[in-house]
Amino acid sequence: MADDKDVLRDVWFGRIPTCFTLHQDEVTEREAEPFYLLLPRVSYLTLVTDKVKKHFLKVMKAEDVEEMWFEYEGTPLKWHYPIGVLFDLHASNTALPWSITVHFKDFPERDLLHCPSNSVIEAHFMSSIKEADALKHKSQVINDMQKKDHKQLWMGLQNDKFDQFWAMNRKLMEYPTEEGGFRYIPFRIYQVHTHTHTHTHIYIYILAGVSPFLLTLTLTLTL
Amino acid sequence: MSWSVLDEEGFSRCCRLLVQQSQSLRDGWSWEPGQGSAEGYLRKTTLRTAAFTSRPEREPEGSGAAPEQHTAPGRAEEPSQSDLAAPAASGDADDLTGAEDDGADEDDWVCRAPAESSSRVLQYEYHVLYSCSYSVPVLYFRAFTLEGRSLSLDEVWSCVPPQYRARLQQSPWNTITQQEHPLLGQPFFLVHPCRTDELMRPVMQAAQQQLRWVNYVVTWLSMVGPLVGLEMPLSYAALSPQSPTATAAEQEPSEA
Repeated sequence: MADDKDVLRDVWFGRIPTCFTLHQDEVTEREAEPFYLLLPRVSYLTLVTDKVKKHFLKVMKAEDVEEMWFEYEGTPLKWHYPIGVLFDLHASNTALPWSITVHFKDFPERDLLHCPSNSVIEAHFMSSIKEADALKHKSQVINDMQKKDHKQLWMGLQNDKFDQFWAMNRKLMEYPTEEGGFRYIPFRIYQVHTHTHTHTHIYIYILAGVSPFLLTLTLTLTL
Repeated sequence: MSWSVLDEEGFSRCCRLLVQQSQSLRDGWSWEPGQGSAEGYLRKTTLRTAAFTSRPEREPEGSGAAPEQHTAPGRAEEPSQSDLAAPAASGDADDLTGAEDDGADEDDWVCRAPAESSSRVLQYEYHVLYSCSYSVPVLYFRAFTLEGRSLSLDEVWSCVPPQYRARLQQSPWNTITQQEHPLLGQPFFLVHPCRTDELMRPVMQAAQQQLRWVNYVVTWLSMVGPLVGLEMPLSYAALSPQSPTATAAEQEPSEA
């Protein structure tokens, strides 16, 4: 694990320069300037965009503001996918900064999960961790950890604290050699269909500790 | 030796049996094949009358959506005659008849809700999928008003029978959350599957000791379903499996 630490740090600290623009149909009191932000690849959109919300709220009336959601070129962005995954799926072939459109009304109920608070993001994140551990260790490691350990894992991600996160995550990454290692290695495959091409690009993220760690391998398969 | 979980083949067989029994009981379950040949899920839609608290038009800024914190009084609407008479948006005539026959269930379903709630006819859609990670079935569902508006998580919580609500809220892993449907990619609610094996262990062990075959999916649904308004008529237990000898062989413990 010590040799991999550089790789783990590089993955953790990956950033995507992003430009947030308010959608033209949103009602504003004066013109809204775009907002620029470096997004962490390993985090989630709704966790790291409080500043974006505050910025646009300055030019809007409270009654015109509902749940914030994001869209890229007409496609609602699923906040429950890690940011790096969203970028790779939708915009990896375009020039930086990544241009995301911000909405405060007409929430697409059929496409997006609601995210009324950070505790929803935490529940989703921990649910992924738990599912991965079900595959790796039959849930033994995650169930043996105390509530405060779970909390530390989450706070590490929320506050962008690599050491705090990995102090807990390394327990989930241990594979006892006497038991033959991980029972199964969790993979999550995200598939995007591009209608104009005959190839299907499949992005395979090897979930070292299950999201947020993404080592991206791009395979182009002809199907 | 793992009696409390189910492998995928066992899941498919249990579902097939359930659908056969459902057809003779006119209970409305169908099998929807997924894109792969073996993959698929159980599906059922029903209409339910429920008293629930409507959520206000907009989300209050920065507030947590904890189930016990119901926000400002919802719009109290009288259930109009047209609500009750109108067919469901995507349900067919058979579902409608089936729901009306479940008169006995409606009293159990209407929960004691605060004064500002209203009684509404809601359309519920239930899916049962297999989870490879947990080796158990998972209950996904979504709910709509007859106008087609999706219910929020808060509203869904307000429809959970009070006797279950406290227990579900205590345990964060056994709770109802919103997630992406694994096959359809759309938002659904689900009852978290990570404690299903604990739930099923006593039943399956007892069945094994008594050399009795039990349909894992039917038994599990009869326990988990009522949390979210889904009833399994007792008649399922009265119907015997089509091929007891074949199904006895299925009860081999899955690979640990």
